[in-house]
Amino acid sequence: MLLHYVLRRLAFFIGAMFIASVLIFVLIRAAGGNVAAVVLGRDASPEAINALATEYGLDRPWAVQYLDWITGMMGGDLGQSFRTGESVADLVVSRLPISVPLAGAGLVLAILIAIPAGTYAARNAGRSSGTLIALISQIGIAVPVFWAGVLLSLLFGVQLGWLPTGGWTPWNVSVLGAIQSLVLPVLALGLVMAASLSRYVRTAVLDVMNQDYVRTARATGMSQTRALLTVGLPNAALPIVTFLGLLIAELIGGTVIIETVFSLPGLSRMILSNVAAREVIVVQSTVMLIIVFVMFVNLVVDLLYGLLDPRIRVAG
Amino acid sequence: MYHRIQLRRRRKSTALAAAAMAIAVALPATPALAEVADSPRADDAAIVLAARQDPGTLDYVKSNLTALRLWVPGNVMEPLVYFNADGTVSPGVAESWEISDDRQTYTFTIRQANFSDGSPITAEDVIYSLEAMSQSPVVSNAAAHHAVEDIEKLDDRTVRVTLSRPSQNFWRGMGDVAGLIQPQAAADQIATKPIGSGPYRITEYVSNSHIAFEANPEYWGEQPEITSVTVRIITDGTAGLNAIEAGEIDASPVNTVDLWEQIVNRGLDEAYRLVTFPQAGEPTYAVVNSNVDHEIRKTIAMTLDRQAFNDAFGAPWGVENTCTFGLPHYPWYEPASEESCPYPYDMEQAMTRIAENGWGDIPLEYASLSDVPDLSLPADLMIPLMQAAGFTVERNAMDLARYSQLIFQGRPPQFDVTIMAGPGEPTQWACSDPQNGGWSTYCSAEYTEALAAADQALSQEEYVKHMKEASAILREDAVIIPIIAKAGVGLYHPDLVGFIEPRVGVAIEFAPMSWQ
Repeated sequence: MLLHYVLRRLAFFIGAMFIASVLIFVLIRAAGGNVAAVVLGRDASPEAINALATEYGLDRPWAVQYLDWITGMMGGDLGQSFRTGESVADLVVSRLPISVPLAGAGLVLAILIAIPAGTYAARNAGRSSGTLIALISQIGIAVPVFWAGVLLSLLFGVQLGWLPTGGWTPWNVSVLGAIQSLVLPVLALGLVMAASLSRYVRTAVLDVMNQDYVRTARATGMSQTRALLTVGLPNAALPIVTFLGLLIAELIGGTVIIETVFSLPGLSRMILSNVAAREVIVVQSTVMLIIVFVMFVNLVVDLLYGLLDPRIRVAG
Repeated sequence: MYHRIQLRRRRKSTALAAAAMAIAVALPATPALAEVADSPRADDAAIVLAARQDPGTLDYVKSNLTALRLWVPGNVMEPLVYFNADGTVSPGVAESWEISDDRQTYTFTIRQANFSDGSPITAEDVIYSLEAMSQSPVVSNAAAHHAVEDIEKLDDRTVRVTLSRPSQNFWRGMGDVAGLIQPQAAADQIATKPIGSGPYRITEYVSNSHIAFEANPEYWGEQPEITSVTVRIITDGTAGLNAIEAGEIDASPVNTVDLWEQIVNRGLDEAYRLVTFPQAGEPTYAVVNSNVDHEIRKTIAMTLDRQAFNDAFGAPWGVENTCTFGLPHYPWYEPASEESCPYPYDMEQAMTRIAENGWGDIPLEYASLSDVPDLSLPADLMIPLMQAAGFTVERNAMDLARYSQLIFQGRPPQFDVTIMAGPGEPTQWACSDPQNGGWSTYCSAEYTEALAAADQALSQEEYVKHMKEASAILREDAVIIPIIAKAGVGLYHPDLVGFIEPRVGVAIEFAPMSWQ
């Protein structure tokens, strides 16, 4: 039964990958324009554009281009940038030391803030302290991440001069400099995500607090805190884990904005500028990698669900 | 003179001021202490500059992007000669040169020097570079070489270029990007680390992050005082101003009009030195599809209130109303006047003409470049002006890549009206074959002939005369309708001196700069 469930999820994963690859391939081309035109600028003749597009292999039928790209991907070759000839794999690897700590630390910060804050707000629902936490998280949800970034940059970078307003110091140049470059972006990302996550945690905890098993635990003489921690939170964990899976997709969207606001040369900003330049191979391969990652996380979450809750295995 | 930048870390300033006061009280004033002549950064050999755009590639043979032409020519790559702002010509890679009386033979003596990778500059490298440029897909690069008939090596240090006819474009091109010299052996790394003989070499280019330069130890001239230059790529305008205000950036050599209000509100225009220069400026002009009736084109020209554009796009930036396609430092340029504007702003006449001829029923598609503020903002003015006159205008917004495909490269271009700002070189519109009519080609045989006559001129006077004729043809036809000419505007730390007007296209040269 479990093997059948795992195989079904894997088949879904592979099918979704194929559909995603076709969508990415078609969408970037459907947007119009091509990298040859962007490189050559406005006064280039159509003949020159066509010649460069041919040199880049963009004049080949879409099916041929797709097969060329996807077979390369499956063989571990992510392709090359048209403009610089750099390999996409190298480009991605060079951006990971920025984007991974940014997204990772942002997520950890969000969790560290949201779970205690959400739990506290649930425990104190109806009291002024609980309402205050709920209010703050509501305000946090309403704050766009770019605005949070600009405000933090103005306060800690411009006014106080404690941290750089933006830019990136590579790890191999200065570890301290790299950390300083990431502090404000991580804060901006983490705080805004914590707001929505804490609301979710509050709702989930409130939900389990009214369940029979928590009441039963309390009836055995457990304190409310102990009942919540030992019985309530484990049961609230499943929906929170689901929400965290969704939050990873939101995280990637957030890093696009944060990397732009703080001029960080991360993966998201690389994708954005390459979309504008119609560097189709760079965009396709990088976005595909991200999709594989996000879907893999979701697959793992699905499989964990199946393992944790047999009812899902049967229904799935 | 010590200029205090008030906007830097106010807390630090307060602490420093307190410390300074304490020292002043404790020590008797001496002439040495009273006359602080140098900037605190006088011994600093580094500068950090801000760039708004990422070039994506440093291959100047294939790419014409301003984001690249601002930094690589003049600093890393050198042309054969330099054309100075005062009209004189200085040696570059060519130590000397001879021009035949008929201006069809140019003999360049190559400087005995090395490229930054240590390899010597050879006649073969010069020939390779010029031939590569003649094949460049960038029209303005290749155009300089159209008259070249033959390039030959006379000896290890002498190259002779023979032209089929006199060409002003060739000679001017040798002082521009079309005349940059690179080593053939390093040509394959041009996209990420071009090698040249200029005062700097590139140590690192990280897309979306920075371009790092260091002084070139092989440079044939005097070593620059500034030995380390970092160009930080900050695409978000507000983030760039934050960095300037926090003191992380020493200069932002090229700024866009959309930031002007923020610059003034933050007091950066007073705290920093504002430098305006025409070379990196650009004309803003309307473009009407040449298939639109000439009388309608003339009427569209009458709806363009140049002063409204001037007011909206920052008079402090050195904006001038004009009906001449070009920049104010061109010798044939003329500001707007009764003589130079055949269709001046006249809303009443425009309304009458539209009503009498029923042109209001003809839908006109306005192609709007949405992701470039310098171009989307003028559209916000132009469309209401045309609509107020009675035209039916539909705005079609698109990003640069799509705009490039439909408008720049479309044959025929897929638009009726648009607005553009960019290089002011009028030769970009040359075209004699109507079949090739498109964005980058104006396709008037008369105009193309006037440009050809200017190219073949044997004297400056003759050249200017023909360029004025070409300008008149362009403005009469109302396909390309100049509106304003904007100057380039840079913000510089008040202690950073030595800015010179660009000599190689729009390039900002670092070598003359220093902390005073």
